[in-house]
Amino acid sequence: MSVLLFIVVRGEAQLGVMKMVGNNTGDYSFGFGAFIKGIFPVSPASDLTLELGANFFPLNDGGIGSGSAFVPIKVGYRYFLNGTDRGIYVEPQVGYNIYGVTSQIVEGYNKDFIFHGFVFAAGTGYLFDIGTVPLDLNLHYETIFAHGGSDNYISLGLTYHILFGKREEY
Amino acid sequence: MRKLLLTSLVILSLSSCLKESIADAMLEEQKSANQGGSPAVATMTYVINGNTVTNSVSDPDSQSPTYYQLGCSKTLYPGTNNSIYSLDCVSTSGEFTFTFGTDSLTVGNYLYTGISGDLFVLSYNNTDEFVHVPTDSISFNVTSYSKGHISGNFSGRLTPMISAGNPDNTYGTPGSVLITKGSFKDVPVFY
Repeated sequence: MSVLLFIVVRGEAQLGVMKMVGNNTGDYSFGFGAFIKGIFPVSPASDLTLELGANFFPLNDGGIGSGSAFVPIKVGYRYFLNGTDRGIYVEPQVGYNIYGVTSQIVEGYNKDFIFHGFVFAAGTGYLFDIGTVPLDLNLHYETIFAHGGSDNYISLGLTYHILFGKREEY
Repeated sequence: MRKLLLTSLVILSLSSCLKESIADAMLEEQKSANQGGSPAVATMTYVINGNTVTNSVSDPDSQSPTYYQLGCSKTLYPGTNNSIYSLDCVSTSGEFTFTFGTDSLTVGNYLYTGISGDLFVLSYNNTDEFVHVPTDSISFNVTSYSKGHISGNFSGRLTPMISAGNPDNTYGTPGSVLITKGSFKDVPVFY
């Protein structure tokens, strides 16, 4: 743990609202999720990121099914368009879904499918300060590949930054 | 940076073009796997008071999931939201049925005794045989559940129903019907 704190100069924690998109997602209600993220600055306007998330999407099927859940771990590259460490940024990510379960109604019954799979994501956001508190309002599109299919979702989140050090030190 | 973003967008666009969700794709995989291992015949045999009953169905997977000669189907227990599995066999000598009181059928033993109440098990030569008195029972062992098919063995002690009446049924000698050497093989499980 001490090694992790030494390397990661900043972290983030987020709660977000999400929506599954794509084929056969009409039965899904809005989902919710959370992540923690380590940030590794590589330049004044860019960071490498490591993110562990947990997302849940309940099925709106009258209580028969349970929904879908994903636990992705991703690495990303966050780049601020204005050359500083605040403002609008873009962030492509790639990773692996270490646990996923999704429900399907089969012949009137709920059936759970457990899977893993690669994860790709693209996001954009706006990092700003309220007083001395940095906040990050962001929008992500994420897709998980497994067994020849994909699950896709959009997330809108507000991220709280946890500071372990200063960017200038790196 | 532009190349990185462009690559990400291409990957996301291509992935979004996949027609199937993960659940749909996995369901298709399971169906394909089941079809690949489809048995040529399903059988159920047992001996009832010394008389052997043999049933077999060719190409059992082609049966209707809701109307079959020999199969096991997952259904809702009447009046509840609980699921059960019902193993049924219809033959010229009569009907045989056993209810697995579980919503997730697995390899193992499933025992029903008369302590839990009356339970119809089979009809043989126009006589219905029940688990009726506390010492009656029917025991099923599922020894294999693979690719959507179950196999195993069973035995039981039952009581014949002489006549169905209102308000009370009339039963014969308690425990006078013995089911022995019961076996079933490659019975399809329908969802």
